[in-house]
Amino acid sequence: MAPDRSELLKDLTADEAQRILAFGSRLTVPSGASLFQLGDPAERLFLIERGRIRLTLPMQVRGREEDVVVEERTSGQTVGWSALIPPHKFTLAATAPLETEVIALPREELRKHFAANPTVGYKITLNLAVVIGHRLQLFQAMWLREMQRTVEKHSA
Amino acid sequence: MEMLLTVLCMSMLGLAVTAIAFGAATRPKKSSSQVQPELRPVKAVGPGRFFADKVVPPDSPGSYVPTEVLLAQIENHVRLEQAAAQSFLESPTHAQLHTKTTSVFVN
Repeated sequence: MAPDRSELLKDLTADEAQRILAFGSRLTVPSGASLFQLGDPAERLFLIERGRIRLTLPMQVRGREEDVVVEERTSGQTVGWSALIPPHKFTLAATAPLETEVIALPREELRKHFAANPTVGYKITLNLAVVIGHRLQLFQAMWLREMQRTVEKHSA
Repeated sequence: MEMLLTVLCMSMLGLAVTAIAFGAATRPKKSSSQVQPELRPVKAVGPGRFFADKVVPPDSPGSYVPTEVLLAQIENHVRLEQAAAQSFLESPTHAQLHTKTTSVFVN
């Protein structure tokens, strides 16, 4: 995967990106299969090479627990950043709605590599901060929209 | 004299007819049967509903749709809300934050 095609590898040189990707293993997730479940230990970070990943949260719908899609990630994007953020547990579930190929990067190898190559660690951490920050801002705005409606409903 | 008697007889006859007619008109009607007709039981009257103690709200619109459709509506709502939130992030204004979507959950 070329660095410019991946949100995680952005601003890395081709050589730096190649060394990161060398830690990874390519996985094919069949259509409808799960990549990880909510609460699972987050040992690996995933770069989507091809296909799509649906991130879901459980919701009670008519007394039954249903997985509701909260975000979809496509080629070039990253899922499973809980692998780099304590307490290293997935806070969402991930499934593939169609056959999807991902590159799984093990946390421990990445940590060691970042310790030995702080510049690479800094660039990747910055890219990860963009991914996390974007989700935070998005959900913050969504939460405020819901709150506004709740307030309007209860003060009408 | 004969004429006087005729007039008198006719008057007596008229008076008798009038008395009979008056009696018939003013006599109270008697039921042909002395038995009291059976009364139908009256339906129990429910509590007054004009000022109902508890107003039962109508079911939400989503409660009649199949679960699969409801889930699709939830997914669509999330997508629309994310798109609206994304628009706000690109152009953060008060108006952008509270734009209304076409989601069935907010209309």
